[in-house]
Amino acid sequence: MKGSETMERAYSPTRILVMLGFILVLILMDHLNSPTFAFNSGQGNVETALSQRDETACAPCGAPCPSTRD
Amino acid sequence: MTDSAVLQPGLQQPGWQVDRFIVSTALFGLALLGGLIWLETAPFMVALFVVGTVLGMALYHGAFGFTAGWRNLVVKKRGAGMRAQLLLFGVTSLIMVPMLHSGMEGLVGAVAPVGTSLVVGSFLFGVGMQLGGGCGSGTLFTVGAGNIRMVVTLVFFIAGAVLGSIHLPWWLDQPGFDPVSLVDTLGISGAVLAQFVGLGLIAWWVNRIERKAHGTVERDELLWKSQGHGVLRTLISGRWPFTWAILMLAAGNALTLAIGGAPWSITFAFNVWGAKALEVVGVNMSQFEFWQWDYPAMALKDSVLTNIPSVMNFGLLLGAMLAAGLANRFNEASRNKPEGRQFLAAVVGGLLLGYGARLGFGCNIGALFSGIASASLHAWIWFASAFVGSLIGIRLRPWFRLPN
Repeated sequence: MKGSETMERAYSPTRILVMLGFILVLILMDHLNSPTFAFNSGQGNVETALSQRDETACAPCGAPCPSTRD
Repeated sequence: MTDSAVLQPGLQQPGWQVDRFIVSTALFGLALLGGLIWLETAPFMVALFVVGTVLGMALYHGAFGFTAGWRNLVVKKRGAGMRAQLLLFGVTSLIMVPMLHSGMEGLVGAVAPVGTSLVVGSFLFGVGMQLGGGCGSGTLFTVGAGNIRMVVTLVFFIAGAVLGSIHLPWWLDQPGFDPVSLVDTLGISGAVLAQFVGLGLIAWWVNRIERKAHGTVERDELLWKSQGHGVLRTLISGRWPFTWAILMLAAGNALTLAIGGAPWSITFAFNVWGAKALEVVGVNMSQFEFWQWDYPAMALKDSVLTNIPSVMNFGLLLGAMLAAGLANRFNEASRNKPEGRQFLAAVVGGLLLGYGARLGFGCNIGALFSGIASASLHAWIWFASAFVGSLIGIRLRPWFRLPN
């Protein structure tokens, strides 16, 4: 194969799969312990936060306005 | 031995190769995570996941880096990257400022307070951009493309963001005032016009620097046609002309606003990921004031799959991975192993990026791009402070053995 067109792989496919699998497990663990999963599983009386925006906040991160602080 | 494969007839052109393993893995990941989001949340969240994926591809194929654009202007006196950013801000503000004030219910702009926290945070972010090797979007898309040094930057970006969240209430108590929307003082047309004048003045300054150094101004940011390959091949495997990336990024941010109710942001997700990690090891994040505020408290408590910045970031990472695979360049930037001081730069840069982004109410996307698209004064102050910080970062790069 021509070197200019085809590069040798500079990564280990196994390592990539392990990394992505690890991230997926973390996401799943987080989700399985969440109110949204509890709600989806039929458990009532849980507060979920699908739309998490706080429209009264003063910044996208939810910070309050300087004028409201003591 | 390589895993690259020549595409089959229909798509085939001489020398067009993809990294089949990376493309398959990215597509599988997109399908798996997209399916999970579909099953467990709501269709609009899947739409935002797809928007994030396309944005990741656009950032990678357009090589749309804010950090390099600023550095090229300062070091090489070339302004195409900077002008591309200014064009992006102009186009997006023309779409989003009227959208935000159209009376549609539930749309919130990226406006934020102006004060000590903003100035210090954006300045630190600017230094961190040059040391860490990327901004918010740049760090994410290069990680998705397999850049190992940027993984280090991302880890410390997250750490810095969590530290910033703990300190933010103190910074908010320093001198500052409430958000200023240009629309409130100038009206919709006036705000868009004033921003165009501001962007035009910066473009004039950029052109002046370039013309003084080189005698002419390169107009790479205005190129429409792909270089050397057909449109389809360029669309799939890159590199996109700046104009394609500008249109995709502008449309992506407007779609994010329309679907999710707020403009595109990246770094809040890093706060959430870091805080959740600390809770796993026993730290009670709710003891800190930031995590008692409604939005952070909700995000911390519930699944990352219900947090819009997190879902879009997952899409962005996988989109960049897919794009790098299609370009047969996954992990390309890690072929030359970085040495000690370069790793140190990633650590220091990452911490400054994270801490700065939290104090500055976001990164180049959430505070600068989305802030200007929302006609918020804080975005312009962020821009100026981050650029000054970036000048310091550029001067520090040689000590960290980073090329300028």
